[in-house]
Amino acid sequence: MIIKSDKSSFQSYLTDSSNYKGNAEKLFMPESIQELKELVIDCNRKKTKLTVSGNGTGLTGGRVPDNGFIISLEKFNEILNLDEKNKTVTVQPAVLLNDLQSFVEQKNLFYPPDPTERNSFIGGNIATNASGARTFKYGPTRDYVNKLKVLNPNGEILELDRNINDRSFKFLKNFNIKKPLTSKNASGFFCEENLHLIDLFIGSEGLLGIIIEAELKLIDLPKEVFSAVAFFDSENDALNFIEESKTLSFNNQSIIGARGLEFFDEHSLIFLSKDFPNIPNSAKAAVWFEQEIIRNEDEIFENWSFLLEKYKYSADSAWFASDPKDYEKFKDFRHSISWKVNEYIAQKNFKKVGTDVAVPDKDFHDFYFWCKKLVSDSNLHFVSYGHFGNSHLHLNMLPKSDAEYKTAKENYYLICKKTVELNGTISAEHGIGKLKREYFELMYSEEEILQMAKIKKHFDENLILNIGNIIDPRFYEMV
Amino acid sequence: MKIAVCVSHVPDTATKINIGSDGKTIDPNGVTYIVNPYDEFAIEEALKTKEKLGGEVVVISVGNDANKETLRKALAMGADSAVLLKDENQRDSFGIAKALAEEIKLQNAELVFFGKQSVDYDNSITGQLTAELLNYNSVSVVVNLNIDGNKITAEREIEGGKEVVETSLPVVITAQKGLNEPRYASLKGIMAAKKKTIEEKEAVAANLFVEVVEMKKPAPKQAGKILGSDSSAVSELVKLLREEAKVI
Ligand SMILES: Cc1cc2nc3c(=O)[nH]c(=O)nc-3n(C[C@H](O)[C@H](O)[C@H](O)COP(=O)(O)OP(=O)(O)OC[C@H]3O[C@@H](n4cnc5c(N)ncnc54)[C@H](O)[C@@H]3O)c2cc1C
Repeated sequence: MIIKSDKSSFQSYLTDSSNYKGNAEKLFMPESIQELKELVIDCNRKKTKLTVSGNGTGLTGGRVPDNGFIISLEKFNEILNLDEKNKTVTVQPAVLLNDLQSFVEQKNLFYPPDPTERNSFIGGNIATNASGARTFKYGPTRDYVNKLKVLNPNGEILELDRNINDRSFKFLKNFNIKKPLTSKNASGFFCEENLHLIDLFIGSEGLLGIIIEAELKLIDLPKEVFSAVAFFDSENDALNFIEESKTLSFNNQSIIGARGLEFFDEHSLIFLSKDFPNIPNSAKAAVWFEQEIIRNEDEIFENWSFLLEKYKYSADSAWFASDPKDYEKFKDFRHSISWKVNEYIAQKNFKKVGTDVAVPDKDFHDFYFWCKKLVSDSNLHFVSYGHFGNSHLHLNMLPKSDAEYKTAKENYYLICKKTVELNGTISAEHGIGKLKREYFELMYSEEEILQMAKIKKHFDENLILNIGNIIDPRFYEMV
Repeated sequence: MKIAVCVSHVPDTATKINIGSDGKTIDPNGVTYIVNPYDEFAIEEALKTKEKLGGEVVVISVGNDANKETLRKALAMGADSAVLLKDENQRDSFGIAKALAEEIKLQNAELVFFGKQSVDYDNSITGQLTAELLNYNSVSVVVNLNIDGNKITAEREIEGGKEVVETSLPVVITAQKGLNEPRYASLKGIMAAKKKTIEEKEAVAANLFVEVVEMKKPAPKQAGKILGSDSSAVSELVKLLREEAKVI
């Protein structure tokens, strides 16, 4: 085991991509499960707090400790087994998403979840139930986790298997919190009737145990993918285009079946214009979409063409991929916006205040314009884009001064409040971590959070693991 | 005016290349092929010229069936027709130029675009050889082009600066990055391209002058070392640069 006690040698672990800063006494990098287990048992006995570190790409301070020890899982980075026949892959938690995807694609298999940050660990993805553009068609990480091996704070290893009925736990019997009416959610513990234990662990941000192994479900690699970026002269047209494409994609009678539908506003396009000079100047919005093609290619094209024309896309300036390079380029277009915004902020030394909210589909259109008005009226610079196929909005406010930062935070609060009123979720993909607890408390009542705290205590009596994530520690004193 | 664009189908610069079992060719297995990036500037310039001055754009490629993908892309971008000059065997630049020159003659094209080089074998010579075989003027590595009647004004990149050249039709232009921003296909273009047929014929025979004797991969790079991500790693870095790498 590698142990670092000199703080300067593990400084980078005291933050994540949110820039939230924390503190710790030591960093442990176990090299075997046995070492990890002994460490956890020892800490449990001494009641030393432990925070699990993935690759630190999180945006909510989840891996950032307030005190105690850090456990970095980075040595557990092996792909253990690929079962081509049953289409599963077994991995250790520190396998990079990027490596996993390339590995299975070489074998003509496909791991659908595609969070934008491909340098994240699979363990981190499972702990936050990460999702991406393809979640529109394929769902979040949760849907691809068949089995999990989890090390509990008391040193016990739980083997959870979706195909084995782990549904009748007494302590879970009364677990009942409201579910947001959205197609994506990463806020707090997962809850449904007949809850499977594996689903409780997925997305629990390391509160219930350390993920040490996972078996993931794969599907056949879709060979032909139709990919496009369409520009619109009005945001309204772009939103209506997305709304109808979405409806058609879930209608079995329709040949249209997008696997991702993403939106970019005018400000996003300005950010991207240097790298993508083909963006037309007149564009007020863009939509990126993809559809896998198995048959009836002509008919699919004709249907998209009809739909695009209906919503007055700029036919002369739209982009359609005609080879693998274009396809990759469009993917870059989609991915680079979050990078571009982060780069800009770092350069100018600004802070970003960005939403990760999703609301029910029927409310999204009005909600979007409501948020936009709120932010424009307060004279803040902003960039908005997001997984609009899932009614999921990343509205990034870019305050230039402390006063503007304060206004941005107030807007953020109002947006979360509105989201909750609409039965939405304040975090659709990044999780709650330590930075969004205040807004999490808008979403769930004290009684509901206490139910979660109780579950936490069931697995972690001494409250040592990832304390501070999701649940404000004051709740633990109340159960 | 008939405008010809000569295009090659090359391994994507981002894919891993392996050498074939004969030790002389690229193993195409697992390699993604794309339109030679410089040829995209050539296609774009041909389309822009057509849009401005009228005419017809024909794309021509020498190679096997796989090259149809590249021709199809050019059609989707807006080219009017495509010709595949078939040869299953690898030709040298002269052999390719010979086949292309023959076809350009048949097509009666007076304005011919190439990419400045093909990123597979990087010979940077096919455009000029073709011009010579056709007895056309030729300007290479062009970053700006103006056509006024018969008169061609082309700006080309030279070491440390730019050079403006005047010449006249018929001419071969080889395109450099910066000449334009290649368009993506339109939906109409993709749909129309699917309906167009690619004309296929045997490439005319040619004597080859260059024989590939052996292909080798460069020696693998040594793995890098990450010492840290903040200022705490600097002293270690300086130490290693001095003692291990011996560069300071
Ligand atoms: C540019 C950018 C784009 C992003 N885009 C997306 C996106 O599209 N979708 C999305 O969902 N997220 C996105 N994210 C957020 C982030 O990439 C994800 O949250 C990711 O899942 C975090 O993985 P990680 O390995 O970096 O985890 P970390 O940040 O290290 O940790 C995240 C949380 O998981 C816990 N954890 C990690 N590993 C384990 C384990 N083995 N067992 C138990 N708990 C564990 C940590 O304690 C922490 O609470 C983006 C981030 C950036 C910087």
